[in-house]
Amino acid sequence: MKLVVLGKGGQGVIFFSRMIAQAAIKKGLSVCSTEIKGMAKKGGTVEIQMKIGEGLCGLVKRGNADMVILLSNDLIDYAMTFGDRIFSFTEEDIKAALSSVSMRQVNTFLLGVFVKKTSLFKCEDFSFLDEDNKKSFIKGCEYVQS
Amino acid sequence: MPRLYLSGNEAIAYGLIQAGVRLITGYPGTPSSEIIPAAQKIVKEREITSFIDWAINEKVAYEIAHSVSLAGIKSAVTMKQVGLNVAMDPFMNSAYIGTEGGMVVVSVDDPGPHSSQTEQDSRFFAMAAKIPVFDISNVREAYEFARKAISLSQEYKIPVMLRSSTRVSHGRADVEIDEQFSIETLHPHFKTLKDWDKKLFRYASTPKGRLSLHKELNEKIEKIRLTNRPSFFFSGDMLILSSGAVFSYIYELIEEHGLENRVTLAKIDMPYPLGNLEVSSFKRVITIEETYPVIELQLNTEGRRNGIVPSEGELTPDVCEKIFVKLNLIEPKKTIHVPPLKRPSLCPGCGHRIGLFAVKKVFGKKAIYAGDIGCYTLALNFGVTDTILCMGASISFGFGFKKAYQLAGKDQDVVSIIGDSTFFHTGIQPLLDAVHYKIPFLTVILDNKTVAMTGNQKTLSDNVSSSGESVTPIEIESVIKGLGLEFLKVLDPYDYTESVRVLKKARTFIREKSLPAVVIFRHLCVNTKEGISSNPKYSVLLKKALCKGCKLCILEFECPAIHFNEKENSVEIDYTLCIGCGCCVHVCPTKAFTMDKIEEKKE
Ligand code: SF4
Ligand code: SF4
Ligand code: SF4
Repeated sequence: MKLVVLGKGGQGVIFFSRMIAQAAIKKGLSVCSTEIKGMAKKGGTVEIQMKIGEGLCGLVKRGNADMVILLSNDLIDYAMTFGDRIFSFTEEDIKAALSSVSMRQVNTFLLGVFVKKTSLFKCEDFSFLDEDNKKSFIKGCEYVQS
Repeated sequence: MPRLYLSGNEAIAYGLIQAGVRLITGYPGTPSSEIIPAAQKIVKEREITSFIDWAINEKVAYEIAHSVSLAGIKSAVTMKQVGLNVAMDPFMNSAYIGTEGGMVVVSVDDPGPHSSQTEQDSRFFAMAAKIPVFDISNVREAYEFARKAISLSQEYKIPVMLRSSTRVSHGRADVEIDEQFSIETLHPHFKTLKDWDKKLFRYASTPKGRLSLHKELNEKIEKIRLTNRPSFFFSGDMLILSSGAVFSYIYELIEEHGLENRVTLAKIDMPYPLGNLEVSSFKRVITIEETYPVIELQLNTEGRRNGIVPSEGELTPDVCEKIFVKLNLIEPKKTIHVPPLKRPSLCPGCGHRIGLFAVKKVFGKKAIYAGDIGCYTLALNFGVTDTILCMGASISFGFGFKKAYQLAGKDQDVVSIIGDSTFFHTGIQPLLDAVHYKIPFLTVILDNKTVAMTGNQKTLSDNVSSSGESVTPIEIESVIKGLGLEFLKVLDPYDYTESVRVLKKARTFIREKSLPAVVIFRHLCVNTKEGISSNPKYSVLLKKALCKGCKLCILEFECPAIHFNEKENSVEIDYTLCIGCGCCVHVCPTKAFTMDKIEEKKE
């Protein structure tokens, strides 16, 4: 599986890619990835390309990604160069996250939303999360089901 | 063995420590900066006695690591590719002198370039110095090659280069790590060596002795050359030779396009020194490597020199596919247009922005602004940087530009702009010359007490080192005072009115006394915890009615939190980015920005 995670500094791009990688490793799959962080720290583009269960390197060719996880909608044109299956959070998703959990747990809530909406992974794959994060992750999963 | 999701740089750190390296030093530089912090963590968790910390520049780092090796302790030095240029003198010489304890030189290249001044190939420099070089092709290999490099160095008593690249160092993969770390006591020996007399001839060698050391070096390289064998994959009558990150891309492409019967792929772990390779059975032999023709020149194959491989730019999998088209291995694909990404800017509230805005206000657009390497390079976006060469060059350029106009008897304001860590790295030396020769120009030192550009490493101004040791803090002004400079002022650039006043005084001083002046702008980097928590915080508002839409605050100041709304012909503040620093208040000619203090500055 070839994934690209795309967004800006501070949006949790690195967090998302690491959680996904850890879940894949727990399942016994190989993971390789590559990170490109723009020069400016705040607001700069962060791009992670990742291969799960295949390949020697993390780089994904243009047009070849099975899915692009897009955290910053203004990068949509750039995201499309990797493939046309784009996943992004809706405004409702983000509102739900902000109103259901504390600021620090927003990312794990959204991770739950992602897992439920895409079914690339199962909720059990993320059993390595610590207690607080697990709670908000499950809240994210439940939000999608409801 | 545990499987960890490591970056290439972390994997290198694990490999080095596991191979017994007990001193690692270097200077931060993207993409090499994470090796030292990773190694610090590894030794701390395992209570391994060691010294792992930053040096003032790559030359000093190299010399420290080399002398430790000569005392019989395994060592390593880390840097980015352009850092190797700074360390070139000891690098070349250490090949002749050799090593005692294994010594590895980690140099990380940046094909692209993503965050560097050049696309230079460290393997080329290794070849020039006659130093063997391992070229890492993926994260798992980073761990393995770090250990191999130490053992090769130990065996042949020669420094060994470990070459990585952005894609490997900033890549990640699951890596199996051996949890066995030897915790042996260290036994340095130098003058206590039995055959000291013979050794002295090597360690303090005169030119005559160097000739025989050169001969010895050639013999070592010849021996290593004979053991250096590539590994082969697939079985076609076209041979592609590769090393480093590109090897992984080519391997994947051959599988993806089912070319296993048309191409043989040779993987070269050590691109220098290369052994003879029997290639007469192949119809064509092509080298695809980043970024200079190192293997290609040694084996005289096709590649860059006959235009098959592009001579500049990163050889990404997409580019490698185009090379395959040129080799008639696959049909051309539709090219995908990649839209450009937004250019980077200084962070909202960065002290460099308002400080340099004041400099521009006083010295005007006609002054020559000699810039340097650091975040403040981005002042290029709003017209306060005219040159960027290499670390420390701002001050030598200030000297040179001023001199050029002086020789012609013409007036010209010249301002050099340099950060605190860059000043210590290689900015001090040109300032010595400027003072000595009485060159009248202004040097602005932007002191944010951190190496911000590469991930906020500590500078000499701290009293605790990054590994937690107590250290002696060194203030820039005390160093400069020692030079006998007459005009030296330290101030916080957030105090805009005072900045303008001091800069005007500096300008008058330089013109009237015809001497150099230094202004230090001190403000913590707001991208650090300490910096943001101690930063003044205001409630900043934009009065739309007062905004004339002149775009001055966009073009001449460029805070990412200020957006221009074309429809309304006025600006608006993006409060998700704004940190309430209040600096923009000084910028708008019609006073459209207002501020109210909302929180007392915490001490
Ligand atoms: S990281 Fe620090 S020094 Fe660099 S632009 Fe941001 S605030 Fe300025
Ligand atoms: S806020 Fe002031 S400087 Fe910015 S565009 Fe409006 S009038 Fe010009
Ligand atoms: S107060 Fe003004 S200059 Fe400071 S971050 Fe906000 S918009 Fe930018």
